[in-house]
Amino acid sequence: MLSLCTLLSLIFCLFSLLEAKSSTGNSVLVVLDPAAQSQFSIFFDGLKDSGYELTFRGPKDDAPLLIEDDIASFAHAIVFASDTKNFAKDITPQNLVRLLSLNTNLLIALSPKQTMLSSLAAEFSLILPPPGTPLISYFPERDERANVIPISVPAGSPLLTPNTPPVWFSGVPFVLGNNPLIVPILNAPEESFAADSDSSTDTLADAAEKGGEGLWAGSQLGVVSGFQALSGARVTWVGGVDLFSDEFANKEISKGVKSGNKQFARDVAAWTFQESLVLRLEDADHHIVNSTISKEQYTINDHILYRAAISRFNPKDDVWEPYSDIKDMQLEFTMLDPHIRIALPPVAGQPGVYSTEFRAPDRHGVFKFVINYKRKGWSHLHHSITVAVVPPRHDGYPRFLSAAWPYYAGAISTSVGFFLFSAMWLAGDVRQLKKSKSHKTE
Amino acid sequence: MPAAYPLPTNVSPATVANTASLLRIIALALISGAAIASRLFAVINFESIIHEFDPWFNFRATKVLASEGFYAFYNWFDASAWYPLGRVVGGTVYPGLMATSSVFYNILHALNLPVDIRNICVLLAPGFSALTAWATYMFTKEMKDASAGLLAAAFIGIVPGYISRSVAGSYDNEAIAIFLLMFTFFCWIKALKLGSALFGTVAAVFYFYMVAAWGGYVFITNMIPLHALVLILMGRFTSRLYVAYSSWYAIGTLASMQVPFVGFQPVRTSEHMVALGVFGLLQIVAFAQLIRSYLSSKQFQNLLFYSVVTTGILGTFVFVGLTYKGWIAPWTGRFYSLWDTGYAKKYIPIIASVSEHQPTAWPSFFMDLQLLIFLFPAGVILCFRELRDEHVFVIIYAVMASYFAGVMVRLMLTLTPCVCVASAVAFSSLLDTYIDPAEPDVPRNPQNGGNTTLEDVVAAATANTTKPGARSAPKGIFGLDTRMIIIFNAFGMLAFFVFHCTWVTSNAYSSPSVVLASSNPDGSQHIIDDYREAYYWLRQNTPETAVVMSWWDYGYQIAGMADRPTLVDNNTWNNTHIATVGKAMASPEEIAYPILRKHDVDYVLIIFGGLIGYSGDDINKFLWMVRIAQGVWPDEIQEPNYFTPQGEYRIDERASNAMKNSLMYKMTYHRFAELFGGSGQAVDRVRNQQVPKVGPTLDYLDEAFTSENWIVRIYQVKKEDDLGRDLKSANAFSQGKKRKRSKPVSKRRAIV
Repeated sequence: MLSLCTLLSLIFCLFSLLEAKSSTGNSVLVVLDPAAQSQFSIFFDGLKDSGYELTFRGPKDDAPLLIEDDIASFAHAIVFASDTKNFAKDITPQNLVRLLSLNTNLLIALSPKQTMLSSLAAEFSLILPPPGTPLISYFPERDERANVIPISVPAGSPLLTPNTPPVWFSGVPFVLGNNPLIVPILNAPEESFAADSDSSTDTLADAAEKGGEGLWAGSQLGVVSGFQALSGARVTWVGGVDLFSDEFANKEISKGVKSGNKQFARDVAAWTFQESLVLRLEDADHHIVNSTISKEQYTINDHILYRAAISRFNPKDDVWEPYSDIKDMQLEFTMLDPHIRIALPPVAGQPGVYSTEFRAPDRHGVFKFVINYKRKGWSHLHHSITVAVVPPRHDGYPRFLSAAWPYYAGAISTSVGFFLFSAMWLAGDVRQLKKSKSHKTE
Repeated sequence: MPAAYPLPTNVSPATVANTASLLRIIALALISGAAIASRLFAVINFESIIHEFDPWFNFRATKVLASEGFYAFYNWFDASAWYPLGRVVGGTVYPGLMATSSVFYNILHALNLPVDIRNICVLLAPGFSALTAWATYMFTKEMKDASAGLLAAAFIGIVPGYISRSVAGSYDNEAIAIFLLMFTFFCWIKALKLGSALFGTVAAVFYFYMVAAWGGYVFITNMIPLHALVLILMGRFTSRLYVAYSSWYAIGTLASMQVPFVGFQPVRTSEHMVALGVFGLLQIVAFAQLIRSYLSSKQFQNLLFYSVVTTGILGTFVFVGLTYKGWIAPWTGRFYSLWDTGYAKKYIPIIASVSEHQPTAWPSFFMDLQLLIFLFPAGVILCFRELRDEHVFVIIYAVMASYFAGVMVRLMLTLTPCVCVASAVAFSSLLDTYIDPAEPDVPRNPQNGGNTTLEDVVAAATANTTKPGARSAPKGIFGLDTRMIIIFNAFGMLAFFVFHCTWVTSNAYSSPSVVLASSNPDGSQHIIDDYREAYYWLRQNTPETAVVMSWWDYGYQIAGMADRPTLVDNNTWNNTHIATVGKAMASPEEIAYPILRKHDVDYVLIIFGGLIGYSGDDINKFLWMVRIAQGVWPDEIQEPNYFTPQGEYRIDERASNAMKNSLMYKMTYHRFAELFGGSGQAVDRVRNQQVPKVGPTLDYLDEAFTSENWIVRIYQVKKEDDLGRDLKSANAFSQGKKRKRSKPVSKRRAIV
């Protein structure tokens, strides 16, 4: 479901700055030590070029506020101050979570140090290793230290540009909890593990004795992962801020091949700031087949046609375009439980329109048309319309039933019999009448 | 013929008759006035408002009927009741009451009298009580005479047993049903006396009206056949009985089947089988009479014997077979609970949980009927003295209704008319005897010279008893003084009856229960209006589609006053749905929350009387919620868990864990201790127990509204957490509590 806020900000964008790229607004707050700003110039310039307005704020600065008068001041926020222990008064875990409910997107970088952010990560079902244990890998053999690791970008991820070269990473990994809202973006290499870099061999040996118990290791660890909150806002957790740095962006992955950091950082920002994989349900209606008027209530066994229009945000032209490529969407007709669950396929020839027909169940009650489309990486589509399904009207039943012939025959024959009897009685013999009278008097 | 006091002799009989009928009319008019006036306490003390629970639904339905017409009402599907199941109102309601008031409404509006529909609904019951008085007059007139009828009319006009269900604002089915009951009985008696098909048809028409108005029509459906059956067994079969019964049954049954809620029940349920059986029996008996007139008595007796035996056996087999096959529905639970008062408590807690289904307490007989309860047996005995067909009816009525009134409080209502009739017969016999100026002829005793002393009377009496063969002494009442004593006494009793009725009506039966009254220290009245305050809050502050969950008692009021969808209401047709609400109330928050979300509940409404000592609150009803939920989920909800190990029902520190964790307990006592400054002085004034110092905390609900006297508390159900956490940890987080460090679950198996 799309909030009004999204829509308003979209309209705002259309009118003011046509070069804006995000579907939810272009103001970005960057919480970063001013001294470190220059380390990320490639990333920030890339954002500026795409039309974002960056506002920088030191982690201990009092202004500008994240939330003013219950309204989020920025459409997006980047928290790169990952080593900072003490933040300004209004940058608290609670306020950051509140930003999400106000539909502000967050891009947060962690560090091996124990900070406010690492405890906040736990709220997102990300389980961090103990403090001071960054991700370490001795493969492939290279000149860099063990905690600077090249990670190849997964192919087939919808939110990353295909064929991105491997990226340099340095920071903490985290275990992804059991939360369906997590969107894994980049996982650690198989050979990597989290350890105190000085005594890494000891850790390994200890863990090996325990059969791997308690070791943060392997490709199930995430290093960059997204989180799609139910409010629609997106959060991306990055294990180390260096991923975005100029140094890593310019560093060669192998002879003559530049690392994919720049592209990767841009893709991650694009997803986080709701440029890519953003869907919207424009409009949904329902009516009886062969009719056009939407009804408040249907009769049981009515044939109902449900129609939904879905569009996807196109960041290049900053427009919403009809989107017909969803193949696995379903429609539910629900009263407590789904009574009907059927595919909602796109309609050929009508871009962005999905439609299906079904027969209402033979059960009266208050039903809901529910679309609940949640796929990793894509924005959630959740929409419901409530209608009542009622029994037929008193004159809505068939008037003549062939099965009722015995009763019709019975009624008719009784009527005829009564008529004949009356006629015979009235026109009958007078003598008989007298006889019966004399009987009575006996 | 000596007389105790002289009567005017120069009055023509025509004048006497005219004056008597004028007086009767005036008396009836005054009785009607008294009947209406005594029901207006509720309006005068409070306001013109619909009372209690069920009337709110009737009122709402009437508004639909009056504004949208009959067919819209007939096809009305109420999507806001029993959310999300909905209720097919047209097919599950007795529309007689609503139809009656909308007819009045339309007539008045056609006459350009723009009367509010609410006032019509409020005043319908008093209006019909006047008609009831008239119908009782007619009925009693058939039993004895017009003067007994007037007494009966006066009794029924003011007797609390009937007023309890027909005060102004008590807009319930019973308001018109008692009139219909009495008038149907009157028509039946008339039809039986005259052998008139016309009166039989009129009885059937009013029976139809009754069927359309109240579920208690089954009482008529069984009373009339029972009367007919008893008459047959007494050997009083006549063609009058045949005509009256057949015309009533045939037309009445066909007509009653036109009511959608009744449908095919008259031929398919056990409750209606007596009527059908007696109808069949009457045909057989009539046929037998016909045959007897053609056969010799010996042949006939043999034939009768064999045919009665075979039909009896065949009939029983057919009935059992049909019941077994499911063509005839077996008796319903409500019916079983009529015979075994413990049945409902064991098997259908939902029926037992209704206070008006409880057995009647003895004092309430006196409260509702006062002196009539003593006159009633005398009246029944007087009926035995004459024992005409109609007296048999009263006797059967008295026996049946007395039993049922003892079993269920609400059936006191059906007993009341019979008590009034019988008492009026007894009382008017008393008055007849003592007002009659005729004195017995006493043969002059030469020794005493005409001075009848007490000794003589005693002597005469003893002589009469000791020597039955002897010449009987004259019996009767002598002198004016004896008459005066009795009559003075009798009128004194009547006067006290009037005082009692007025007192009971004004104090016990005129509270709307939507508005409560208490008195200030200076004696002035203080109105507690928490219910309406809360319902209007809902109406003004929540979206129209917000679903409100509450215990079913308040469903009709929420729908009527707050106009919001409810999960369950007083039309308790779906036990599982009610049990679901019971389970949600009785479970801990974590278990209740998914139930609430599944049913799209936005607000939960509870009643709490602990602050001002209002005892009819939800904690006192809580055990019924537990019991009803236990009936459906015996593994999850168990009643003993809600008691302390000592078996006490407590809400203080010693309350059981299940009790303390239940949603109902938490909602009830949320922030209650804070009201007393957390000093540990927070006392629940209903239970007289001290509430724990640290009150319960709620994670899944937010307090949205609490009324002035805390009677109504409304909680809003929170939405799911944005981050997919459970709300308990989300709450802990937003309050700044540290989360425990968690370790990843090892997905690898240890290498051995």
